[in-house]
Amino acid sequence: MVKSELIKQSPLRILDDSTHGGVGIGNIGVLAARQGTGKTAALVHLAIDKLFQDKHVIHVTFSQRPDHILAYYEEIFTEISKLKHLEGAMAVHDDVIRNRTIMNFNDQKASSTTHVIESLNARIKEGAFKANTVIIDEFDFAHSTPADIKAFKAFALAQNLEIWFSISLDKESDAQLAHDVPEVLKNFVEEVAVLINLKPSKGRIHFALIKDHGHKPADLHLLLDTKTLLIVKE
Amino acid sequence: MKMDISKMRNIGISAHIDSGKTTLTERILFYAGRIHAIHEVRGKDGVGATMDSMELERERGITIQSAATAVSWKDYFVNVIDTPGHVDFTIEVERSLRVLDGAILVLCSVAGVQSQSITVDRQMKRYSVPRLAFVNKCDRTGANPFKVKDQLIEKLNHNAILMQLPIGLEDKHEGIIDLVTMKAYYFEGEDGMDIIEKDIPTEYTKQAEEYREKMIDAVSMYSDDLAEAYLEGKEMPPAMIYDAVRKGCISLTLTPVFLGSAYKNKGVQLLLDAVTRFLPSPKDRPVTCLDLDNNETEVTLQAVDSMKTVALAFKLDDGQYGQLTYVRIYQGEVKKGMELYNIRTQKKFKVGRLMKMHANHTEDIEEAGAGDIVALFGVECATGDTFCDPSLNYSMTSMYVPAAVISLSITPVDKKSGDQLAKALNRFTKEDPTFRTFVDQESNQTIIQGMGELHLEVYVERMKREYKCEVTTGMPQVAYRETVTEVADFNYTHKKQTGGSGQYARVAGSMAPYAEADYLFVDNIKGGSIPNEYIPSCDKGFQSSLYKGSLIGFPIVGVKMTINDGAWHPVDSSDLAFQQAAIGAFRETYLKAKPIILEPLMKVVVEGPTEFQGNIFGSINQRRGVILTSTEDGQFCQVDAEVPLSEMFGYSTVLRSMSQGKAEFTMEFLRYGKVPNNVSEDLKKAYEAKRKADQK
Repeated sequence: MVKSELIKQSPLRILDDSTHGGVGIGNIGVLAARQGTGKTAALVHLAIDKLFQDKHVIHVTFSQRPDHILAYYEEIFTEISKLKHLEGAMAVHDDVIRNRTIMNFNDQKASSTTHVIESLNARIKEGAFKANTVIIDEFDFAHSTPADIKAFKAFALAQNLEIWFSISLDKESDAQLAHDVPEVLKNFVEEVAVLINLKPSKGRIHFALIKDHGHKPADLHLLLDTKTLLIVKE
Repeated sequence: MKMDISKMRNIGISAHIDSGKTTLTERILFYAGRIHAIHEVRGKDGVGATMDSMELERERGITIQSAATAVSWKDYFVNVIDTPGHVDFTIEVERSLRVLDGAILVLCSVAGVQSQSITVDRQMKRYSVPRLAFVNKCDRTGANPFKVKDQLIEKLNHNAILMQLPIGLEDKHEGIIDLVTMKAYYFEGEDGMDIIEKDIPTEYTKQAEEYREKMIDAVSMYSDDLAEAYLEGKEMPPAMIYDAVRKGCISLTLTPVFLGSAYKNKGVQLLLDAVTRFLPSPKDRPVTCLDLDNNETEVTLQAVDSMKTVALAFKLDDGQYGQLTYVRIYQGEVKKGMELYNIRTQKKFKVGRLMKMHANHTEDIEEAGAGDIVALFGVECATGDTFCDPSLNYSMTSMYVPAAVISLSITPVDKKSGDQLAKALNRFTKEDPTFRTFVDQESNQTIIQGMGELHLEVYVERMKREYKCEVTTGMPQVAYRETVTEVADFNYTHKKQTGGSGQYARVAGSMAPYAEADYLFVDNIKGGSIPNEYIPSCDKGFQSSLYKGSLIGFPIVGVKMTINDGAWHPVDSSDLAFQQAAIGAFRETYLKAKPIILEPLMKVVVEGPTEFQGNIFGSINQRRGVILTSTEDGQFCQVDAEVPLSEMFGYSTVLRSMSQGKAEFTMEFLRYGKVPNNVSEDLKKAYEAKRKADQK
């Protein structure tokens, strides 16, 4: 399969369609789930889908393990290219690497919102890297204020990009999310355009759309394949 | 003077530049009683540290050549092999790792695990060298040995355990608490010679208890006795704990961490104790070699004096009176006057003078036993040669030698230099397998090849200093490659009629990209359309075409040549005719197979204060680099990138000036990658222009 066909057939088109064109420039999307349900894998698939479209992605982590994230990209890229018999996979792979940067912030001081935005700007401006999507993995919402999210939103608007956050929920918050906004997200939900919950049930992980801009959330019919860690149609 | 092998240690000291490795080595040599005054690396007294024997190293403040130095500590004998800290000289590091039984990984307590530490650690892993860590510079502002220990775990995946605690840090660094003996140690008197043992200061007792608990918990899994004593709350004598740590360390699953400040004379003696206690003796590590008489099957060597001798020449040194060869004896013994056999040259030689090398003097000895490191005098050989008992034909497994990525043309300025040049090159190529030299057939220039800009620069300087040989150098030249990207068929006839018997050969088949190796020849001829005797001629013809590609004149790699048809003539066909046909076929098909230019891509790691991160991003971007990851940690950031080697010339100067000298970088060869079209067009044009100019 050639790259353009692969983009067209990607299950992520369902996500775009169901969320009125995706997160959108200057907006924020949040992927919330319990620890170990595949948030990073889902975000990496989302990122690779953007990279296939020749878009640029910055992946921010606070994990201290950028190698670990790189391995995720390699794995998921390989799975997709194998599954879809991608033509010229090597050349596509080189482009994917060129258009992606992992930025890792190790300690508290480096992880402050002002500092992260400063570094992102440095990467975009001085590094001449026209980012379209920024992924902020495992963001610490519990220790952040609405001002932090507003600052990220302003940055997104100024740089013409969208931001995806992921957040780990505890058991109670995760259960609550189905019918109500849990405490940890309460102060932020206003600023969030798209909110998705990953829900494991009966050995499958479902994508549940909780918030879709101002619209009534539709049923996504998407799953995370627990074996390949790819997002697939239900 | 032969030694008890269980009391012998062959150790190396590896580290990032400026972690204080040379200072630490100096202190070790000092305390082990062999040298009488301590000199600093960038010596205020102009004498320089003892291990850096070369003038050039003294000037640059870095250690280039590894030297083996024998010292004794308590009743142990320790051979210290100094290893270079700069990545351009990794072959030196790798070569010394080969002969080590254990190593001290020196880390700076402020900068922590830096890129070079990661490279060196990976190399040690490759040679399975057990190591202990020494967190140096605890007296520096910002010192945090706890953070460094965590980094050992996170960045290097070590099972790192603190064996000591600092008493005070930065300018209040006074001494060290040993978590095994549960005592405090202070280093007093001139040069910290007197070790004062005291009780742990009360303000540290709680912390010491807590860290001892952690340490015992981690090491108890290596000893049933210790685990039992620990669980039942019985007394745990130091010997029992040492035994467990030693087991963990030798099995490469535990890295005990020690602390101190070599510069301030703190902790070095305790580190020496740890070296003798925890690192293996030569008989604790099995070493294998290849039996050349027996189809290169692996043979395990025994570090026993009474067995037949097997030794490895790992370092050559040009002494005042001739060549000095550093040798590690793996099996048997070496005696003055005995006969040994050099496997590579297949020549026997007699052992003349046998010496033990101390930091600043040599000592003549009569014999040396298994496991030891000694120097032989006046033996004609190259680095990496194996010396055996004449009845054996063993070779130590070949060392991993990376491909050269850069070349430089050199021209002697006058006749005298020209004469010296040959001598110098002969010496350097013997010493260093990554340093290569040849004469370019077309330009008639002498070309030297190596691992990086600095690598070659150092040799050019050594020519000047050691051989009084002045040369002018050309522009550094990147080792490009050419390859094909598509399959193309050929059907080529070579025909020549020049009176007498003519030449006739036809070959048909295909040219295809091949990722597994540089070249593959496949013979698919059915029914004798090319007679068997001429098949090797086709292969030879293709191979001779690989030497120079037609795009920019660099070697062609990654091609598969298949022949499946052809024709011959009983009188006019010959070996030469088929070679010519193959060459013609290759030339004709090459452009049809969509050839491209490949260039060496380097893995570049830049480290510096966060405030310069933007500049670092910019500088990599300008160099066609791809930024893979960036990591920020407090005030420091690290950027990992892939950058073409051709863009890296002069980067150290640029980086220094844009970061006020605070950022540094390392690079090593990663892989060959496709040159982008615009650059490739420029290269082709330049090659075309050069060819035309040469023709005139």
